[in-house]
Amino acid sequence: MEKMKTGDFINELKDALEIEDEDQEISLETNLKELEEYDSLSVLSIIAMIDKNFGKQIPSLDIVKVTTVSSLMELIGKEHFE
Amino acid sequence: MGVKIANIEYYLPEKVVTNDQLAKQFPDWSSEKIEKKVGIRERHIVNEDETALDLALKAAEKVLKNYNKDKIDFLLFCTQSPEYYLPSGACILQDRLGLNKNIGAFDYNLGCSGFVYGLAMAKSLIYSNIAINILLITSETYTKHIHPKDKSNRTIFGDAAAATIIEKSEKEQIGEFVLGTDGSGYKNLFVPNGGLRNRYDVNAKEIDDDSGSIRTDNNLYMNGPDIFNFTIKAVPKVVAKTLVKNNTTLEDLDYVIFHQANKYMNEYLRKKINIPKDKFYLNLLHTGNTVSATIPIAIKYCLDNSTIKKNDRVLLAGFGVGYSWGGTIITI
Repeated sequence: MEKMKTGDFINELKDALEIEDEDQEISLETNLKELEEYDSLSVLSIIAMIDKNFGKQIPSLDIVKVTTVSSLMELIGKEHFE
Repeated sequence: MGVKIANIEYYLPEKVVTNDQLAKQFPDWSSEKIEKKVGIRERHIVNEDETALDLALKAAEKVLKNYNKDKIDFLLFCTQSPEYYLPSGACILQDRLGLNKNIGAFDYNLGCSGFVYGLAMAKSLIYSNIAINILLITSETYTKHIHPKDKSNRTIFGDAAAATIIEKSEKEQIGEFVLGTDGSGYKNLFVPNGGLRNRYDVNAKEIDDDSGSIRTDNNLYMNGPDIFNFTIKAVPKVVAKTLVKNNTTLEDLDYVIFHQANKYMNEYLRKKINIPKDKFYLNLLHTGNTVSATIPIAIKYCLDNSTIKKNDRVLLAGFGVGYSWGGTIITI
C-alpha cells in the first residue's frame, strides 16, 4: 500500500469529520476530541476512512485513547506515512 | 423439488418517535444530521403494554388472511424480546393464531441474522420431510431494552415484526446458505442484566458513555465502533462466499438486500464490496433498524413497488448481535 502524505491524511480526516470550512486549521497537534464536529458518528467515519485508505480496523479501545491527529497516525502506524 | 417464500407481511407498532421529538430531549442532537448520516427520520416503537409477541401476532394475522392457516405445519419464532423465560413464545402464538396442534413450534434467539437463519431452518425442515408450509415470524422490540436517556440507541432502533410463509415448491427458489458465528464479540451488543447470569438490578447505576448517552447494565449496550469493525471484516466475506456457493456473481444478481443497520454503515459496505447503487436496498427512513425484521420488510417493500419482480435473484445478508451472520440468494 502506498504511503500517504500528512497533508492528504489531514484532508481525508476533514472529510470524515465533515469539516466544510476549508480555512479551519487542522494540524498534527489538533486534539480531535476538542473539535465541535467530533462525536460518536464521526468515530464511525474515521474507522471507515482508515479501513478505506490503510485496510486496517481500529478497535474501539484504541480509538478512545486517540487525542491529537498525530496520535491517530501513530495508531495507524508511522510506516504508512511519508 | 424446491422451497420458496410464498408471502410476507409486516407490522409496525402505531406509536412513532420522530427525530424532532428526540432533538427536544437531546439538545446537542441535530435532526437533519441524523437523517443525513444514519438515514432515519422516525421509528415506530411499542407501548409499555405491547410486546414482540403482540407485534408477531399482528404480522402473522396479516399474512394468514390470504392463506389457509390449516396448511401451516411449523412455526418458527425469532425474537430477543421474549414474553417469558419459558415457555416458548411460539407455543403461545400457535394457540393465539388458532394453528393446528399437530405442528412443531419453537423460538430461537437471534437478532440481525435471524431472518436468514429462519430461512435456512425452514428450508432444512422442508427438505427433511418434517414440514411443508412454514410460518416464520421475526419480531423485535429492542426499545424495551434501551434506556430512555440512551441517545444513540434510541436513534438507531425501531420495533417491528414480519411474518413470512415458506413452502415446498417445484422449483428451487431459496439457494445455498453461508452461516457464521463469532461469539468473541458478544459483549459488543448485549443486555448485561436480566438473565440468570446477572439478575435484573433495581439499583443498577447509570453509566455515562461520554458522548451524551446514559444507560445501566439492565439496558441494551452497543459498542458502535466495534460492531462496525466486525461488519467491515465479515460482510464482504459472507457476500463473496454466498456468491461462490451459489455459482454466481454480483453482475448476474438483480438485487442485494442487507440487514438495514444504519445508512452510513450499509453505504460504506456497498462501496467496499462494489455493489452498484441501483441494485442495493437502503431504506431506514421510517422504521430505523428493526433487527430481525429489516430484511423481510425490505423484500415486501421492494415487491410492492416492483423494485424486484418474479424470477429476480436477490442476495440477502444479515449480520450483527452474537456476532452472527448469514447469507443466501432467493429467487422471487
